Amino acid sequence: MSLRWIGKPIPRQDAWTKVTGEARYMSDLSMPNMLWGRVLRSPHPHALIKSIDIAEAVACSGVVAVLTHRDVPGLNAYGIVVQDQPVLCGDKVRFVGDAVAVLAAESKEAADHALGLIKVEYELLPGVFDPEVAMQQSSPTIHAKGNVLRHSKVHHGDVEGAFADSAVVVEREYRTSRPISAFLETEGGMAMLGADGVLTVYCGAQYPDRDVIQIARALGLERDKVRMVSTLVGGGFGGKDEITVQIHLALLALNTKRPIKLVLSREESMVTGWKKHPMIVRMKTGATSDGTLLAHEVSIISDTGAYASLGGTILHSAMEHCSGPYRVPNVRVEGHCVYTNNSISGAMRGFGVNQVTFAMETQMDILAEELGLDRLDIRIKNGLKDGDKGALGSPLVTAMGPVQTLQAAGQTELWSQRETYKAEPSRPWKKRGVGLAAAIKGCGLGFRMPDFGAASVELLPSGFFRVRVGCPEIGQGNTIAFAQMAAEVLGCSVDQVEVVTGDTGETPDSGTSTASRSIYVAGNAIIDAATKVVELVEQGISARLVVDVEEVELGEAEVRAGGTALSYLDVAALLLQNGQTCCAAGRFDAPKATEEVPSVYGLPHLVFGTNAHVALVEVDTLTGQVEVLQVSAVSDAGRVINLQGLEGQSEGGTVMGMGYALTEDIIIDQGMVRTLNFNNYIIPTAMDTPPISTTVVEVVEKTGPFGAKGVGEVVCISITPAITNAIYDAIKVRVTELPATIERVLAGLQGV
Amino acid sequence: MEREKICFTLNNSPVEIHCHPGERLVDVLREQLDLTGTKEGCGQGECGACTVLLDGRAVNSCLVLVGQVAGRSVTTIEGLAAGGKLDPLQTAFVQEGAVQCGYCTPGMIISAKALLMEKHNPTEAEIKEAIAGNLCRCTGYIKIIKAVQAAAASRFEG
Repeated sequence: MSLRWIGKPIPRQDAWTKVTGEARYMSDLSMPNMLWGRVLRSPHPHALIKSIDIAEAVACSGVVAVLTHRDVPGLNAYGIVVQDQPVLCGDKVRFVGDAVAVLAAESKEAADHALGLIKVEYELLPGVFDPEVAMQQSSPTIHAKGNVLRHSKVHHGDVEGAFADSAVVVEREYRTSRPISAFLETEGGMAMLGADGVLTVYCGAQYPDRDVIQIARALGLERDKVRMVSTLVGGGFGGKDEITVQIHLALLALNTKRPIKLVLSREESMVTGWKKHPMIVRMKTGATSDGTLLAHEVSIISDTGAYASLGGTILHSAMEHCSGPYRVPNVRVEGHCVYTNNSISGAMRGFGVNQVTFAMETQMDILAEELGLDRLDIRIKNGLKDGDKGALGSPLVTAMGPVQTLQAAGQTELWSQRETYKAEPSRPWKKRGVGLAAAIKGCGLGFRMPDFGAASVELLPSGFFRVRVGCPEIGQGNTIAFAQMAAEVLGCSVDQVEVVTGDTGETPDSGTSTASRSIYVAGNAIIDAATKVVELVEQGISARLVVDVEEVELGEAEVRAGGTALSYLDVAALLLQNGQTCCAAGRFDAPKATEEVPSVYGLPHLVFGTNAHVALVEVDTLTGQVEVLQVSAVSDAGRVINLQGLEGQSEGGTVMGMGYALTEDIIIDQGMVRTLNFNNYIIPTAMDTPPISTTVVEVVEKTGPFGAKGVGEVVCISITPAITNAIYDAIKVRVTELPATIERVLAGLQGV
Repeated sequence: MEREKICFTLNNSPVEIHCHPGERLVDVLREQLDLTGTKEGCGQGECGACTVLLDGRAVNSCLVLVGQVAGRSVTTIEGLAAGGKLDPLQTAFVQEGAVQCGYCTPGMIISAKALLMEKHNPTEAEIKEAIAGNLCRCTGYIKIIKAVQAAAASRFEG
């Protein structure tokens, strides 16, 4: 099949208004008569609320409403899986930043002033901040049902026997940090109650259709009385998957009957935003003398903070990926996801896979060293192939790319010429190293979760085609990929297609923009819808012009029918004026594995993307400073839809994973967040960014649209252990705790 | 707060506003003048999303009080496309794929503009330094740097 648009580096349509400043994000919106909202938050990590006195705040000039838990008309709780997080706390607070009251005022200044006048009396409770302490029976209880949110175990094969047969067994403990999405647009937006009684919430989010369910449930409204608009979004990365400010906005709009705006400050975002789960990962891995992996025993303890959100699901994702992209026949894995009084952990790009891959890829390097094997060879030897079993024993029946991806990584100049790159450090006291790592990441929602794509394609009177998809554009570029896929099927140029996403009033529910899934599921739905529209156009023109259907052909700029050529504008006029609608709905239900992994809800995933990274670092042996000098990334995304978009994901993911490796960590001290802004929460800048080259390996997935898989998460995973393995290559210091700060590296150099 | 009349040049046109001189420039631009192309990402001069030109130099408008711009010239992202013709930086950002979520883009382009006004043919190191105060979480900066290089090169092409 020759493809006209698929794979081409076509610039994004939405970029034009973004470069002129015309583009309006949800936090840019304003309305006449608009109020400003603010949230009163708990200053304590764990306390009982004895009383809340709002009288003085209510009496304050400019204040229109002050609301507490008593004013939540529906279920005073939210959460994607478990609804255990109060909209507004009534009896207890569980982390610093827990919401206690919201207010609306005529100005930001009035809102700020009134916030300080709400009096909350707390009775402090002992807090628990260490997940291993939280698991003990004697620990303070954060939720009535106990501190362990999820405890799961999987065991297959003869693990003890396989360890006994192993020539080498490597056992280590790894600890990972608490990074945050740090999207540039903080959580925020606007809400208003329309004359038709519909409450519209404008807020950057990753699944507006589910937000509607959560908003309606909390407000005691019918779902059709709530509309959610989430376009444009200033970054998501998982941090806008769960509810952020939507319910607070809705509550204030419903109560005041006026437009209300609420935007979190960066400090509020850092305190209350969803972080990547810190995990304690203990791994014991056994291999034969030729490096064949035999046995793997893993324990994961995951700190989910004060509320559940997706903590249980993320633990399971970590368990599923605990052997990285490698085949191990005998595995035992046990996971605990634990509540603490730390701030909340949730979805963040990688969904539990970053943590275990960091651990596994360090294990692989240690095994290679102990066995005297090449670091690339041992990886290729064990790389997962179609037909192998995954870590939890499920058969892998889709296109697996680890071997091809690793082989391509081996062919990069950075790897094959690594000794040359390492030979001449920039200063005599600096040392260079090259590291390698690979990762897989499941695309989509897993075994039990409904996982579908839905889309509509319509020929408009203007002669353009409009594609409607629920999955929001959160910056990743799915809209241009959607336009390319639609144009490929329709036959028209990409410029003839306009894409609308993320508006429950207009777009069909197509699931989340998370889990590396939107290209895969929505792309397939678009192909379905566009195929039907082609038929509608062909049949319509055939009937109007009295030519055979076979003689009608949709082209780049015109439709040919027999000897006649019509512009799309003419086609639209001809068809629509005669009362024919040219609109079709498309649907795709993601295929599932045939069997669930016993005792682990929601697993396995069916489709996996793969990535590998080679990193060159230079370590200053006097200071412990690590500089990443060059990176080669290899991406298996299945068939690439937009090369420019893929490179953008690869480069951005690489730099995000670099921050995870070296600097990023939300520091929490006895429940108090100490990293409140970008002055001490350090994300990479342009000065830190090395040259990054991306090689594409297309391990085509036949269930994917044109053979595509998802790529949004896997691109950020293997870079982290590639860097820490490069640090070891340079200075023989093994990084087992993230991030590899200058203090930790220096301590390693000094043998501390 | 007591309001005062403050006059300055905004995107090459004179403006007169009435507000407290202690208000932040970013708030006045976004809330009074509806110029929401200037974004706020951190409120303390760390992220650069609110970058504007003040008398031709890039500044964080969250750290500038509006009283300080009286009699001076402010250029926001909305003022960069003179007479509807896009600045070469704007075109290059689109063509090179330097825009993802786009929230950092206006500030990034303004910082690059300040650089190109001073240096027509900057080195890569100079470009990195010029945008070092502008955080981007999506792109990894590679395509942003390429876009600035492309915009600089396009001047010579004509």
